[in-house]
Amino acid sequence: MKIAYRKFFSPLFFLLCWEGVTRAGMVESWFLPPPMEVFATLWAMIVSGEVPYHTAVSMGRAASGYLVAAAVGIGLGLLIAWSVLIEDFFDPLIELIRPLSTFALVPILFLWFGVGDTSKVIIIFKSCFFPILLNTIAGIKGVDRKLILAAQSLGANGRQLWLQVLIPSALPVIITGLRISTAMAMMSLVGVEMLSSDSGLGFLVIDAQRTFDTRRVFAGIIVLSAVGFSIDFAARIIQSKAVAWHTHTSLGGKYP
Amino acid sequence: MSFIDAHNITKTFSGRNGAEATLAIADISLAIGENEFIALVGPSGCGKSTFMLMVAGLEKPTRGELTIDSRPVTGPDQQRAIVFQEFLLFPWKTVRGNIEFGPRLNGVKKSQYRLLSEELIRLVGLQGFEHCYPYELSGGMKQRVAIARALANKPRVLLMDEPFGALDAITRESMQIELQKIWQQARCTVLFITHSISEAIFLADRVVVMSSRPGSIKKDVAIELERPRTREMFTSERFRHYERLLKECIWEEEQIPQACFA
Ligand SMILES: Nc1ncnc2c1ncn2[C@@H]1O[C@H](COP(=O)(O)OP(=O)(O)OP(=O)(O)O)[C@@H](O)[C@H]1O
Ligand SMILES: [Mg+2]
Repeated sequence: MKIAYRKFFSPLFFLLCWEGVTRAGMVESWFLPPPMEVFATLWAMIVSGEVPYHTAVSMGRAASGYLVAAAVGIGLGLLIAWSVLIEDFFDPLIELIRPLSTFALVPILFLWFGVGDTSKVIIIFKSCFFPILLNTIAGIKGVDRKLILAAQSLGANGRQLWLQVLIPSALPVIITGLRISTAMAMMSLVGVEMLSSDSGLGFLVIDAQRTFDTRRVFAGIIVLSAVGFSIDFAARIIQSKAVAWHTHTSLGGKYP
Repeated sequence: MSFIDAHNITKTFSGRNGAEATLAIADISLAIGENEFIALVGPSGCGKSTFMLMVAGLEKPTRGELTIDSRPVTGPDQQRAIVFQEFLLFPWKTVRGNIEFGPRLNGVKKSQYRLLSEELIRLVGLQGFEHCYPYELSGGMKQRVAIARALANKPRVLLMDEPFGALDAITRESMQIELQKIWQQARCTVLFITHSISEAIFLADRVVVMSSRPGSIKKDVAIELERPRTREMFTSERFRHYERLLKECIWEEEQIPQACFA
C-alpha cells in the first residue's frame, strides 16, 4: 500500500502546537502536560507491561461482545429478511430496545450479574448488535429483485439463491455493519470500564484521573486512540479485500 | 400444437391497500414454433415484460393456459433463460464465473462446464476477458456475458427483454448481427422484446405488435427476408415496407399516457 506522506501533516502540526503551548508556559503542566512527557510516560507504561496487560484485558472483553453480536446479528438478520412472520415478531422488540442508550442497562446488569466481565460483555454486545442486525436486513432486502429473477431462471433453488446470490450480493452492506460496530464496541468498552473495573484501558484512564496524574490520563487516551485506529484500519483492509468488486463498482472512498 | 402455446392469457395485478387492480394483459393468444425468432413490440406499459416473465415461469397468469412443448408452465426452468436490459450480472463473479453459474448449479461436472464456458466465450467474442469482473467491461461486453450466461444452460427458449436498450446505436447494430449469428448456431426459440422497429424486423421471423394496456395482440407480421440478414437490407424496399406497416400500427396505439393517481 502506498502511504501518502501529506497525511502525517495534520497530526504532526497538532502535536507541535500542543508542545508549543505547554513549553511557552501558557498552561500549567499538571493541567496539560507537554506531549514529550506524555510519550515518555507512555513508553514507561509499555515497558512495565502495564499497557499490554490492560490492552489485552480490554480486547478480550470487546472481542467477546463483538463476536457474539456478529454471530447473532447476522443470523437473526438473515432470518428476519427471509420471513415476514419472523420480522413481524421481532420488529417491535427491536424498535423498542434499539434507541435505548446502552448505559441505561448498566444498573440492572450490575444488579443481576455483578460488576464483572459478564455485564461488560453484555453491554458491548448491545452496542454492536443493532448496526450488524440492521445492516444484514437492509443488505438482503436491498438485493435487486431482477437479479433474483435472473438467478432463478438459471436454475437457482431456495438454498442456492441464499448462499450464492443473496448473501454475496448483500455482503458489502453486512460488512459495513460489522465495521461500524467495531467503533461501537470500543466506545461502550471504555464507558463501562470507567464505571466499574479494576482492569482495562478505560480503568487505566479513570484511575489516573483519580490521582490527578494527567500524564497517565493522556497516555491512556493515546493508547485507546491507537487501538481504535488500528482496528478500523484492519477492518478497512479486510473490507476492501473481501468485497473488492464492490469497491470498484461504487465510489468506494476513492474520489475522482 | 405449437412449441409455445399461449391461450387466452389474462393478467391482473391486485392493487396495494384496496387500490384498483391493474389489468395488465387482456386475452393474449400466441403460438410460437420451435426455433422461431419472435419480436414483441408495443407501447410502454402494455405488458410485454409481464408476458415474458409468465413464459419464464416467474409470474403466473391470472387466467388462461400457457404450455411449452405441451407441458404447462409451472415455474422457472433451466430450459428457459432470460436476458434483461440491465445485464444483471453477478458483480462478484468473473466473466467465466458468471457464465458457469447455471451449469454449476445444475450439477454439471467441472471438466464439462469449463469446456462449455470456453466455447461460449468464443461464441460471444470475449476471449481474453475470462477473468475480468463485470465492472471492468463495457456495456456491450456485459450484455455478451449475459447472453453467454443464458446460453450456458442450453435453453430451448431464450427470452430477451430489451437486451440492447442500454447500448449506443453502433454497438447495438453489431450486437444485432452477432445475435443473429449466435441464434443460428445455438438453435433455440427466441422471444425478443424491443422498442426498435428496425431491430425487430432485422432479427425476427415474426413481429408481434401489442396494443396499449391492457395488452392484447394487435398484429402479427411475418418478415419474409432471407437469412442471414445483412446491414444492406436496412435500406431495402421490402424492409421499408415492413417498417411503414408496423410504425403505422404502433402510432395508432401510442396515446398520451394518463397520469397515475396512486
Ligand atoms: N409487479 C407488478 N405489480 C403491479 N403492477 C405491475 C407489476 N408489473 C407490471 N405491472 C403493471 O403492468 C403493466 C405492464 O407492465 P410491463 O412491465 O409488462 O410493461 P412493458 O410493456 O414491459 O413496458 P416497457 O416497454 O415500458 O418495459 C404496467 O401497467 C405496470 O404498471
Ligand atoms: Mg418492459
